[in-house]
Amino acid sequence: MLLEKDMKLADVIHHDYNLVPVINRFGILLGFGDSSIEKICKSKNINVSFFLTILNAFHDPQYLDKRYLQTFSCKLLVDYLRKTHNYYLEQKIPEIECLIGEMGSEMISDSRSHKILQQFFSHYKEELEKHIEREENNVYPYVLELENAIKNETVSESLLTKINNYPIASYEDEHDNVEEKLTDLKNILIKYLSPSLDQKNRFKLLKELNVLEKDLNDHSSIEDFILVPKVELLEKHVMDNLSSDD
Amino acid sequence: MIKTKKVIVVTGAFLISAGIENLVLEISGMLVDQVYDGTEKKLAKKIISRKPEYVIIDPPCVEEILIPLISELNNESDIKVIGLVTPNTIQSVSSHFTFTLNKKESKLHLIEVLQRIVGTEENNQTDNDQVISKRETEILRNLALGLTNQEVADKLFLSVHTVMTHRKKITRKLGIKTVSGLTVYALMNNLVDIREVERTI
Repeated sequence: MLLEKDMKLADVIHHDYNLVPVINRFGILLGFGDSSIEKICKSKNINVSFFLTILNAFHDPQYLDKRYLQTFSCKLLVDYLRKTHNYYLEQKIPEIECLIGEMGSEMISDSRSHKILQQFFSHYKEELEKHIEREENNVYPYVLELENAIKNETVSESLLTKINNYPIASYEDEHDNVEEKLTDLKNILIKYLSPSLDQKNRFKLLKELNVLEKDLNDHSSIEDFILVPKVELLEKHVMDNLSSDD
Repeated sequence: MIKTKKVIVVTGAFLISAGIENLVLEISGMLVDQVYDGTEKKLAKKIISRKPEYVIIDPPCVEEILIPLISELNNESDIKVIGLVTPNTIQSVSSHFTFTLNKKESKLHLIEVLQRIVGTEENNQTDNDQVISKRETEILRNLALGLTNQEVADKLFLSVHTVMTHRKKITRKLGIKTVSGLTVYALMNNLVDIREVERTI
């Protein structure tokens, strides 16, 4: 179903509960009343069409319309991506960590495996943090700098060096390991961790891993299919029009 | 037990990908894992990393990269490449595909063709149980200890290529790809000791 601006946000959430964290990222909290998407966005000062596009892309990846999404500014995209990072680090990862901790009580007879799981996840967390840090400290500022350079029609020497030495293309394919490790963990939980009598926390953990996985997939499709091609166009524009050397 | 058969579709046309998803549902265990529109960078690499059993390509959407794409995919012995064609598709395009589906045919006919393609593979497949062999276990153990492909090759007097082939098989059987994931598996099955693998997990 294509989500549209005159639908009631409450109906949309009833239709796809997975969108709760997504609207949350835009600053919309549950308890938002009975209004339409458009009305709620206006009251919160949210760009309605951007909100709808992100919502639709998450709801059904087939709706991810590359050409259309690329019309939005990098700033909007980057703001959104930063908020998803925040959601991983502040919410999802601690939640999962906590669940793995609680699995200890189900795994008394196999506390060794429990320890291994904890260790695996804590290294996963470190890797994810490093990955996010790199994007936040290097990639996103670079993207915004490019966009500003075009807006102001001036380009600094240092930006030109960056375009030449670290173009956006050099950041691609970075997500792979972060996603692969998550799949590995799911397989371990489903297939290889020996069965315990009580598996409540293991169920919860699997569910949360699926939620994180879907979110990471959505996040990386927005980066790979929207942000990267858009930035490549900006790079080309700067090199063709603003670099005065030649 | 029915083994899942992952399909990747390469087409920019929604009606075609939706049609294929619908068609594939008719074959037990078969599912569309991912749809690419053909403009993605390093498309072949992306496809291979998802480990599909089948890749269905709509030739117009990949145009000039069609031939390199097919040849890269054909290098992977586990992947079968299926082309979408019409009676008007020129020979120089259709001849690159081992298997073809005719876009103009009825659903029933397409199911039959697809079943035949899937069937030929079923008969060839001898080892259906997903237990890793002795050799694979040895390689897995060494990877968990933190050795690189090259180091494992040197230690076991194998070529790197052989080690990589084994590694692919291990990943396919276990569903685990990363070294840390493999290490967790090795630990849980007592193939290595926790003190040996502090760094790799």
